[in-house]
Amino acid sequence: MKNLISLIAAEDPTQTHHWLLPETAEIIYGGLATVIVVTLLVKFAGPMVKKAMADRTAKIQSEIDNARESKTVADAEASKIRAALGDISAERSRILADADKQAEALLVEGRSRLEAEVRDMEAKAEADIAAAAARSGDELRAEIARLSAQAAERAVASALDDRAQQDLIESFISSVGAAR
Amino acid sequence: MSDARIDSYARALLEIANAEGVLSEVEDELFRVARTYESNDQLRGTLTDETIPVERRQTIVEKLLGGRSTNVTAQLVSFIIGAGRARDLPAIADKLVQAASTQQGSEVAEVRSAVALSADQQQRVASALAAKTGRKINLKFVVDPSVMGGLVATVGDTVIDGSVRTRLDQLKSRL
Repeated sequence: MKNLISLIAAEDPTQTHHWLLPETAEIIYGGLATVIVVTLLVKFAGPMVKKAMADRTAKIQSEIDNARESKTVADAEASKIRAALGDISAERSRILADADKQAEALLVEGRSRLEAEVRDMEAKAEADIAAAAARSGDELRAEIARLSAQAAERAVASALDDRAQQDLIESFISSVGAAR
Repeated sequence: MSDARIDSYARALLEIANAEGVLSEVEDELFRVARTYESNDQLRGTLTDETIPVERRQTIVEKLLGGRSTNVTAQLVSFIIGAGRARDLPAIADKLVQAASTQQGSEVAEVRSAVALSADQQQRVASALAAKTGRKINLKFVVDPSVMGGLVATVGDTVIDGSVRTRLDQLKSRL
C-alpha cells in the first residue's frame, strides 16, 4: 500500500499518455495484485464466508423452523383452548339445561306433592268434621236418652202410689198364675 | 270361708233349729237377717269390724234381734259373730234355708218387692209360683226399694221379673 501511494504520489499526470488512465505496467501490476488478492480472498476467506453464510442460513432456518414449530404448538394449544372453551360452553349449557330440567321436575313434583297433601288435609278435615258431627249427634242422643230415662224414672216413681203398687203386685200374681 | 265350712255351719245351725223345733221360724228369720246384713252398710261394717270386741258386737246383734226374732235365731247369729264368721252370715243363712227347704221337700223362692205384701198376697204369690213350677215353694219375701214397683221372683235358676226397675232399665237400653 505504501508503494502504491508512493507510486501515485511520484507520478506526474502531465507526463502520462492519458491523464485518467494509469500506465500499462501499473495496470498489469495492479491487475496481477488484484487477481492475487481476489484469489487469496477466494481461497482463504471464501470458505469462511460461505461457512458463516451457511451457518447463518442454518441458524435462520432453525429459527424459522423453531418459530414454525412454536406456531404449530401455539396453534394446537389455541385449538385446544378453543375446544376447551367450546367444551366449557357446552358443559355450561348442559349443566344449565340439566339444572332447568331438575328445577322443573322438582317444581312439578313439589306441586304434585303439595296438591296431594292439600287433598289429604281436606279429606282428613272432612272426616274429622263428620266424626265430630257424628260424635256430637251421639252425645246429644245419649244425653237426650239419659234425660228421658231420668224423666221417665221420676214420672214413674211419682206415679207409683200405694194403689199402683198393689195393682202391679196383683198383675204379677195374675200373670204368673195365668202362665202355669 | 270355704264352701265345706259354710256347709258345716249351716248343717250345725239346722240341727240346732231342728232340735229346738223352730226350724221354720229360724230359717225365715236368718234369711231376713242375712238380707238386712247385705243391704245395711253400717250394720255390716260394725259386725265385721275387728277393732270392736266380739262381745260388744254380739250384744249389738242380740239387742237388734231381741223381741223381733226367736231366741234361738238371736243366739245362732250371736254364735256366728262370736266365731268370727260375720262375713259369711248371708252364705250360711242361704245354705241353711236351702237345706231346710230340701228337708221339707220344697224349693226356695225369693220374692223381692218395693212394698211389703199382705198375707193374702203372699199366699197367692206362693200358690202361683207353686202352680207354675209344680213344686212346693218355700217363699222368702224381701222388701227392696230398688225394685220400685212390682215383683221379682227367683226360684232356683228361674227369674220371673215383673219389676218396674227392669222395665225402666229396658226403656233406658232402648233409648
